Parts: sequence; C-alpha cells; structure tokens
Amino acid sequence: MFGVWVIKEALVAILELKGLGKNFGKNVAVNEIEMSVEEGEIRGLIGPNGSGKTTLFNIISGFLKPTRGMIIWQGQEITGLPPHVVTRLGLVRTFQLTALFSEMTVMQNVVISCHIHTGTTLWQQFRHSAETRRKERETEEKALNLLESMGIADRKDEIAAQLPHGHQAALGIANALATGPKMILLDEPVGGMNPTETSETMDRIKMLRDRGITVFLVEHDMRAVMTTCDKITCINFGNKIAEGAPQMVCNHREVVEAYLGEEMACSL
Amino acid sequence: MVVAPFTISGYKVDFLTMLMVNVILAVSFRVITTTGGWSLAHVPMMGAGAYATALISGKLGIPFWFSMPLAGLAAGLTGLAISYPLVRTKDFSFFVASFAAGEAIRLCWIRFKIPFGGHRGLGVPIPELISGVPALDFAEAIPYYFLTLVVTIICLSLMYRLDNSRIGDSMKAVQSQEALAKSVGINADGYKMLAFFIGSFFAGIAGVLLAHRLWAIEPHQFGFTTTLYLLVWVVFGGSHTFAGPIIGVVVLTILGEVLRPLADWVPMVYGIIIILTLIFLPGGLESLPSRLGSSAGKTWKIRISFGD
Amino acid sequence: MISSFYALIAVGLSLVFGVMHIVNFAHGEFYMIGAYTVWVLFALLHWPFFIAVGAAIVIVGLLGLVSERLIFRHAHGNVLSGFIMSVGLVFILQVAVVEIWGVGKMKPVPAAFPQVLDMGGVSTSWQRFIVLPATIILLWALWYFLAKFRVGRGLRASAQDPEAAALYGISPKKSAAVAMLLGSAMAGAAGAFMAPIMSVHPYMGHSVVWTAFVVVIVGGAGNIKGTILAALIFGFLTTIITTLLDSTIANLVNTLVMLVILAIRPQGVAGHA
Repeated sequence: MFGVWVIKEALVAILELKGLGKNFGKNVAVNEIEMSVEEGEIRGLIGPNGSGKTTLFNIISGFLKPTRGMIIWQGQEITGLPPHVVTRLGLVRTFQLTALFSEMTVMQNVVISCHIHTGTTLWQQFRHSAETRRKERETEEKALNLLESMGIADRKDEIAAQLPHGHQAALGIANALATGPKMILLDEPVGGMNPTETSETMDRIKMLRDRGITVFLVEHDMRAVMTTCDKITCINFGNKIAEGAPQMVCNHREVVEAYLGEEMACSL
Repeated sequence: MVVAPFTISGYKVDFLTMLMVNVILAVSFRVITTTGGWSLAHVPMMGAGAYATALISGKLGIPFWFSMPLAGLAAGLTGLAISYPLVRTKDFSFFVASFAAGEAIRLCWIRFKIPFGGHRGLGVPIPELISGVPALDFAEAIPYYFLTLVVTIICLSLMYRLDNSRIGDSMKAVQSQEALAKSVGINADGYKMLAFFIGSFFAGIAGVLLAHRLWAIEPHQFGFTTTLYLLVWVVFGGSHTFAGPIIGVVVLTILGEVLRPLADWVPMVYGIIIILTLIFLPGGLESLPSRLGSSAGKTWKIRISFGD
Repeated sequence: MISSFYALIAVGLSLVFGVMHIVNFAHGEFYMIGAYTVWVLFALLHWPFFIAVGAAIVIVGLLGLVSERLIFRHAHGNVLSGFIMSVGLVFILQVAVVEIWGVGKMKPVPAAFPQVLDMGGVSTSWQRFIVLPATIILLWALWYFLAKFRVGRGLRASAQDPEAAALYGISPKKSAAVAMLLGSAMAGAAGAFMAPIMSVHPYMGHSVVWTAFVVVIVGGAGNIKGTILAALIFGFLTTIITTLLDSTIANLVNTLVMLVILAIRPQGVAGHA
C-alpha cells in the first residue's frame, strides 16, 4: 500500500483545486475543496443528492465562478475563465440532460462539436473557398472516425433526439471527444441505464483512459464507480469527507453515514 | 419580378418596393433569432440606418452610394453596442431589455431635436446616382424599384451565404443548446453579438432604402407597431428556415393589400391568423411540409458535403 | 395617485405572469375596455358610477377568462408564444373597439365627483383622490384572497411549483383561469377608475402597458409586494420628472432605470415570487 502511494506521488497532477468555495447568497454549496486529479487517472466523485457535485463540475468547467479558491489546469490557473475557453485548453465536460443538439443529426452533432478544430477563420468560413471546403472535408472525416470508434457511425443521419438512450449517451461523449480534450468531466454517464448499457459505457470510459484522456466522473451508480475508478473522492454538504482507493472510501465511516438511507452497493 | 413593374401601376410598384424592404427586415431579423434571441430592438435598428442616411446624405451631402453602406454600418455598430448588455440576459429579460434598448434609441430621436428632428423627423434627399440619365431618375417609382431589387438580391445572397456557412452552423448550435455549444468551444456570447451586428447592419440597409423612397422619416415609423408586424410575419412564416420569414412577409403583406377595401379590419385579421397559427401550426408556414409527412423543414439545414 | 393606478395594473400583469408565465401584452387593452365599459354605462346610460365600475370589473374579468380558455391555454407556458398570442389579441380588441365606437379621441366621461378636495394647500378633485382608497381596497381584497382562500393559496402554489401543486390536487388549468380572471379584472378596474380622468380612446392601453411592464420587471415579475413597491417608486419618479421636465424624458428615465435594474439584478428589486 505504501509503495503504491509513493508511485502516485510521482504522477503529474493535471487538475488541482485549491480552497475552492462557492456561495449562493447565504447557502454554502461548496466549501474549501482541496483536491487534485492525476493525469491518466479515472477519478470518481460521489456524494448524496445535493452534496455539491454538480456545482463543483460547473465551477471547474467555467459555467460558474467560484467565490473563493483556485483551479489549476496543467499548471495554469483557469479560475473564472468562461467555458468555451476552458474547452480550448483541453478540459471538457458532458451534460446529463442536455448532451446533444437534439434537432440535428448524429453527424451534424459531431461536426459542430469539432468547432475549435476546423482550422478556418470566420472570414474564410464565410467565403467558403476551396481551401475551406478541403478543411471541412477533413473535419467530416474526423467526425466519422470518431463516430465509428463510439460504435454509432451506422446511425449518422438519424436525428439525435430519436436515438435510443444508450446511443444518445455515446453521442454525448462523442461530442465531448470531438473537442480533442486531455481531460473529460462526465456528468452521470450511466444515469438511467440498464446493466448492459452501464457496462458498455464503463468500458468506453476505460477506453478513453487508454487513449490518454484523464477522466473525472460524477455518478450515483456505486457499482460502476467502484469497478472503474482508480480513486474516489466523496463530498457531502460541499465538503470533502473522504478520498482514496474505492474500497477504502466505501467503508469510510463518514461516507457510510452520509449515505444513510440511500443505497450503497459496496460489496464487491 | 423583372417584367412586372412595367405592367402595373405606379402605386403597385411602390408596394413591391416596400415589400422587398420588409423582406430584408424580416430575413435580417432571423439572423438574430438564429442565435436564440427575439430582439424587439430590430425595427429601431432599421430606424438607425434611416436616420444615419438622412444625416449622412442630407446634412453632410455624401452621395447615396457611400451613404448606404455607411448608414448600414452605423446601424450595425448600434446593434453591436446594445448587444453587449443584452447577451447577459435570458428569455423574458432579453425580450424586455431589447425593447427597452430600442425604445431608448427612439426616444432619443424624439427628444433631441438637434440633430434628429424630434417628432417631425428629417427630410431625406433623393438618391442621385448617375445624373443626366432620365431612365435612372431615382425619384421615379420604377427606377427605384430596380435599385431596391438589386440591393435586396445582394443582401439576401449575403445572408444566405452566412446561414449556410459554418458560422451559421455555430449560431444554430447556440440556439439549440447554449450550454453544450459553449462546452464544445463555441463562444456563445460572441456569436450572439456577431448576429446582432450583422442583423442590425442589414436592417439598417432596409432603413436606407425606405428613407430614400419616402424622402422623409419620422420616429413613429419605427415604433412598436411596426415591431409587432415584424413579429407576426416571422412567426407566421417560421424562422427555422431561410425562406420562412420571406414567406411570412410576402403572404401577409399581399393579404393585407388584397383586403385593402376592408383596411380597418386588417389588424384583426392578422391577430386571428397569428393566434390560429400558434395554436395549430406553431412552427409557422415553413413547417407545413414536415407536418404533412416529408422531412424537409424539420431539421436544421447544416451542410455536410459528403454522405448526403 | 399615479402610483396607485400603476399598482393596480402592474399587479394584475404580475399575477398573470407569475402563474402562467405569459407576458400578456393585451393587458393594456383590458384596461382600455374597462374604461370603455364605464364610458358606456356611466356617461352614456347614466348608471351610477360605482355600479358601472363594478360592471367593468366583471366584464373585463370574464374577458380575461375567455382569453385564457381560448387562446393562452395553448401556449403551454412558452413565453414567446404567449406574448405573440397576446399581440394577436391586441390587434383583435383594438380593431373591435374602433369599429364599434370609432377612433375619435377623448370620449369625455364626466367626473362622478367633481367637487374639489383641498388637502393642506394642494387641491385635487375627489375623482382623482378616490383612486387611492379604491386601489387599496382592491389590492387588500386580492391579498386576502391569495392568503386565506383555498383557491388563492392554490394560485400561489402553482406559481412557485406547478408540478408539486398538481400533486396536491391544484389544477394548473384552474389556476391559470383564476389568475387571468383576477389579473384582467384588476386592469379593468384601473381603466374604470381612470375613465373620468384620462382620455378614453382605443389606443389608451398602449401608453399604459409599457410603464406597467417596467413596474413589473423592476418589482420582480410574479412578486406582488415588489410590484407594488415599484409602482410607488415609479409613480413618484414619473410625476416629479414630468413636472420638472417633460413626459418624454420621464419615459426615457423609466426605461433607463429598468435597463439598469435588469443589468444589475435581473430578478427585480424584490426578487421572484
């Protein structure tokens, strides 16, 4: 155990949160969170409903400004930067409910998500020259490859809203991957899924890590979290109450107390 | 469209000219709705163009050819300026704030007699493009019609090009799911402001064309009543497709003209039509094909060059 | 004086928006019809003034109810659709009134109480003065209804959380209908009381509705107390500026104040209900 910790110290912290806090009026949603995620990790964030997980995600990805504290991404401070800039720096998030451009086709979804890599300026896009067309073809090929790797290329011309649930989730991740991230924040990736779909999704997540993308996910499905994550952080009422290897966190006294009344499948 | 003016009366030629001006207004409005905002300041932007050209070509004596793009630019910059606070608002607040901004501008025209002429407005000179050629005397209905036709075709082409480019795609993404658009790297606020600039620019051009035909403008022309008509046209025709607003303007304006003997009743007819449209065909006329079964008009038209 | 009449109109508007999420642009037209009712019944048919006012309240309230049932119900809470529908309603009502009674301005409605009231050096007619206690009574009645009666409480619940309210057996449709009934009735009441004071013509709603919106927004859409507070403030502001400068500037100032409030605190001074 001690040896494992030593090796971990040597890994690079790709995301660090220092003293991060957020108040909504008098309500303290997030309180002095200190944590760091290492590059190449799959990190889970758990906590009962209302514990501040989504707020934390919103702050990290730039949708909310923190009241206190700093966010350090790849050694650079990104606190307070807007979401589209954060994405350009390689940190992207997915959404639980609004992960797709619903009235557009699958292909259109991913092509739009390649926005930051189209390699053309506004003026070029307007003029639509041969050069632009060539670059656009490249983008479309990239998009198609991405769809293939997610296993949904065969549905590329279907309207996103009409896809079955599992495919929609895959598309949501594809949209995020299209931005070419180094780290992806997954918001409840297996929410509402049956065991088969869950297992497929968790495999995809492992695949992301194999591709060199760090994963930070929020999830309620304990089994999924336990089997996939390298390390888990648990928060409650905006405070970090435990952090470490899945087994350790799961049996931590405060974590068990926090989840009292909620289901927690700790036995593996 | 080319032969028509020679076969009908002068009044009808002017009617068609005004129709084209309103088409530019409606399509330029759609540029802004493409990023999700229904701006109630749009008609005042047309007014901004009209006032700008009145001042530039009237008071400063700059010829029409330069006055038109400059006035358009003035309107565009005004639109850009008001968009800055507006992008911070959402839905209801945006609605009201855009109205307030437009109304504030209009109240300036009324209050500040120098240089805007107050309630009586300003005179606008006749465009002198090529002097000495009688066929090109732009005080006459037919030459002015062709001038408007050319400008309209150029404006519509430019806006169509924009709509079908990746810029248009990004704008539609902002309307579809703004948070998602931001997280894939689209600067949503930036695109909204760009849409305001472009939409207001073309609205300004429409205002220029209006001004130089009427030879005088006054603040009431750009008031809320005109905005209401604009909204009715665009909701009736639909704003999802490029053609939607055009259809809306053309159908309702021609209907209004056909009902001229019953002129008093026309607003009520519009009112009933728009309520029925919202109840039974909320997507506007453009959504009729998809209601009837075909897939056209259902999705955003985003260009994918291969595989289609 | 001015504050109280703004308050009456604005509260009606606020109520409708809070419960139905509809921006009823035709609210001004309801006000206008209230005024016309009093004109017809009191000035033309010589009914007693307060009976005419009562009739106006009932008629406009019913008009609101019908509008909700036929028109606004179909907006399904979509703010834009509701707004455009109300625009359609505006056109319909304006044309109807013009066709029936003509466009001629200033239908004179004689003051029901022409005596002059002298209050410590400031003299005003009784007619104008009555607006204040009448408004207070009506607003108090509304408050009482919202607080004490089951239907009224249901209304407030619907405004906060329609789904939860539905679970408790409060039908959103019924709430919408009641909200519209009450809201419009208040606009009608305002019109009725103002008929002898302001000029009665088909477009009188237009000038009033914009200020009403400003009041509602600054007060916080859906928040009754905030709206009343805002009405008071704007009433004073407008009166002072109009006296010192002119009404156009007053309009401009109102508009700018609203823009500023929206920029700093979009939920209004008092916040959402």
